Amino acid sequence: CSRLHTKPSISPTLLLSNMYQRPDMVTPGMDPQGQAMDPRRIQEHFEDFYEDLFEELSKYGEIESLNICDNLADHMVGNVYVQFKEEDHAASAVQNLTGRFYAGRPIIVDFSPVTDFREATCR
Amino acid sequence: PSKSKRVSGFDMAPPASAMLAGAAAVAAAAAGQLTGIPPVI
Repeated sequence: CSRLHTKPSISPTLLLSNMYQRPDMVTPGMDPQGQAMDPRRIQEHFEDFYEDLFEELSKYGEIESLNICDNLADHMVGNVYVQFKEEDHAASAVQNLTGRFYAGRPIIVDFSPVTDFREATCR
Repeated sequence: PSKSKRVSGFDMAPPASAMLAGAAAVAAAAAGQLTGIPPVI
């Protein structure tokens, strides 16, 4: 990947950078205190996050696709990609999310060039 | 809304201590010091 990621000035798709943080991000399978975590709790944590996002993003328009990178490696870690049916709705979401917080961390939102997730790869 | 819905993480501000650290980092950056903030990948 060239790391020259283009940021279009308008797109139906948004990137929320590094927004999802796994509860076992420090040590896989362990909570931050080093206690083993039930995989079902990790899954629930992910689903709660997905629900929060879906609920909030639906305020701005109909969602075509909502993808969350649930990974541990650095690359794209916790990135959220949301594709709206309409560009205008994505623009409204950018306006409404900029400068806000999620779980104590700033929300970093930009338009993304991705329109087809089956073809979305870094080159 | 579903079951006993948890509080959404949206608009959950950082703890006051983090805010102070953030403010200190901004002040340090303004003073031209390195702050150890990792670059965005």
